[in-house]
Amino acid sequence: MARRKLLGAVALAGVVALTAAACGSDDGSSSDGKKTITIGFQGVLSGDNQQLGINALYGVETAVAEANADANLPFKLKLVQSDDAGSPDQGPTAAQKLIDNSDVLAVVGPMFSGATKASEPLYSQAGLLSVSPSATNPALTTLGFRTFYRVIAPDTVQGTADADYIATVLKAKKVFSLDDKSDYGTGLSAALEKELKAKGVTVVHDGINPTKNYTSEATKIISEKPDVLFYSGYYAELALLSKALHDKGFRGITVSGDGSLDAKYVEQAGAAAAEGTYLTCPCSDANSDPNAAAFVESYKKINGGARPGTYSGEAYDATNALIEVFKNLGDNLSRESVAEAFGKVDYQGVTKLVKFQPNGEVEGANDFIYRVKNGQIVVLGNTVDLIKS
Amino acid sequence: MGFADQFWQLTVDGLMVGSLYAVIALGYTLVYGVLQLINFAHSEVFMLGAFGGLFAARGLLPGGATPSGLTSVGLVAAGLAVGAACGAAAAFTLERVAYRPLRRRSAPRLAYLISAIGASLFAVNLAGKEFGRQNVPVPDLFANGTLFHFFGAQVSTQTVVVFGAAVVMLVLLDRLVARTRLGQGIRAVAQDADTAVLMGVNVERVIILTFVIGGLLAGAGGFLYAMTFNASYNMGFVPGVKAFTAAVLGGIGNVRGAMLGGILLGLVESYGGYVFQASYKDVIAFLVLVGILMVRPSGLLGVRLGRAA
Repeated sequence: MARRKLLGAVALAGVVALTAAACGSDDGSSSDGKKTITIGFQGVLSGDNQQLGINALYGVETAVAEANADANLPFKLKLVQSDDAGSPDQGPTAAQKLIDNSDVLAVVGPMFSGATKASEPLYSQAGLLSVSPSATNPALTTLGFRTFYRVIAPDTVQGTADADYIATVLKAKKVFSLDDKSDYGTGLSAALEKELKAKGVTVVHDGINPTKNYTSEATKIISEKPDVLFYSGYYAELALLSKALHDKGFRGITVSGDGSLDAKYVEQAGAAAAEGTYLTCPCSDANSDPNAAAFVESYKKINGGARPGTYSGEAYDATNALIEVFKNLGDNLSRESVAEAFGKVDYQGVTKLVKFQPNGEVEGANDFIYRVKNGQIVVLGNTVDLIKS
Repeated sequence: MGFADQFWQLTVDGLMVGSLYAVIALGYTLVYGVLQLINFAHSEVFMLGAFGGLFAARGLLPGGATPSGLTSVGLVAAGLAVGAACGAAAAFTLERVAYRPLRRRSAPRLAYLISAIGASLFAVNLAGKEFGRQNVPVPDLFANGTLFHFFGAQVSTQTVVVFGAAVVMLVLLDRLVARTRLGQGIRAVAQDADTAVLMGVNVERVIILTFVIGGLLAGAGGFLYAMTFNASYNMGFVPGVKAFTAAVLGGIGNVRGAMLGGILLGLVESYGGYVFQASYKDVIAFLVLVGILMVRPSGLLGVRLGRAA
């Protein structure tokens, strides 16, 4: 008797699921007669460094909400999320999920370089456009991915600018370059070290996979007595490293890249350990940019008061550039037409002019320096200007 | 820059981490002693204790500047106490929910293992849902900095607090097992549970209390660990495996063996992480384990709990 009941329940659940699936795939037109365009988001929505993914997702959602509130647009947007946890292992699965959804015409993401490298072969094969707001490994645009674009400068730009800043403004004679052995970390540290050596700075290199216990690494760093420690990796690990260094009374300057630029770094390291750290990014700070005021306002309204973080502006621009392409294409919408048209897009975003070189790199490339002061991350300015002055 | 110059610094680091491994390892060893069972959910007891202590410290923390003096002492003590209480509560619940029903039905050994893994997965994901899936820091409870130098090694306030608290717990536990009636009971059950019943030992009560003691230690240890390495929903896994290794290294079921194993593992990791690349730290730790087990298959002090103390 019990068994029969169970069987009934299973059958019922099956029917419900089928109905739901059938309803889900019906997206010809919404209630007000507009057609619906579906876009995907692939990014790091779980794991130690998920704040960066949330920043980007909120940026995409802001653009989508604004578009859907715009009565003049001939379509509505629908967003499908796919979480890759920032890991190369889970990247392909997350990408496949969006590829298999035939409604998805374009994707914002992936976010981390390792996950991007693992996911892009699938997107290329499927002819599905993917626009990364944040994957900065220099090699990504040289691997023959047909449908890959990014709205952020590669780490050759960031690494080189940072090295110049460290050599000329911080006047470092010896730099300890530590990376997290990820695609992002190794790409950034390689670009940095090349330029540092060209400037005659002594470089000590080391790599350490993400861990919790940085005590012996901190001892190693301190024993080398560097003027500057540069960490190429993400904020959760830098926070633990800073804690360990502070615990041992490290006297040098700590510098890290865009992967560490988030308020969570200061929170997790503790204000005392994070104080004075320099953080760099090929991204400007929307919160202090007068041209982005409308975006910041809208972002806060749509995301329950949260302030834009690292990559929020880039994700917002990527989504708006897609919307621009959808507008121009009119009824001729397919994965192919979108991917082809996106290469020719020319859209003024809040972070930069979104316009691409033939290899998929964005044209305008800047690097900015930030610093932790009194427990807050404040922007010091554009690296080139800082070096000049 | 060589290893010799940093020897004392690495020793201090190793002792601190090792003392935490020892505290957690005791939980494995005690339960194994009385039940001949590896409690694989012990790492989650550790994690829940860490969050308990963290929230207590955060709740009691007065606003403004980093506290100092007696306030700091009180906050650390409160964090340890609440962490220990949460650990004990988690261990008690675990025993009730995941083990006792199986024991009542005289289930085969493998069933306990599956049950432990299930409980562990449940606790990890519940914590991830409730506390978020990011690292959560313990607020600064005292101004951390170099307290004194020891053969040229910098010893920070935090290291002293963590190591000191861990050693006090280890000594108390050792006394408890060796000197008290409860300790006698634990040793009796470990030696021969059936005979212990005939001698009037309440085995159920001893088992529950063994879990609770392991939970107290792991919970307080979790809080100490989180002060240094931040808390997170999945923080238990790696220290759990390390502590289990430490318990095996010292001879599982042996209280002093677990302590020795923990300290030894911490030291080996610290030296190894410096001499080789830091990423090889775990590899070196396990190489040592394999090496020692090849020579002494039952661990360094390989005797059972009953005869150990």
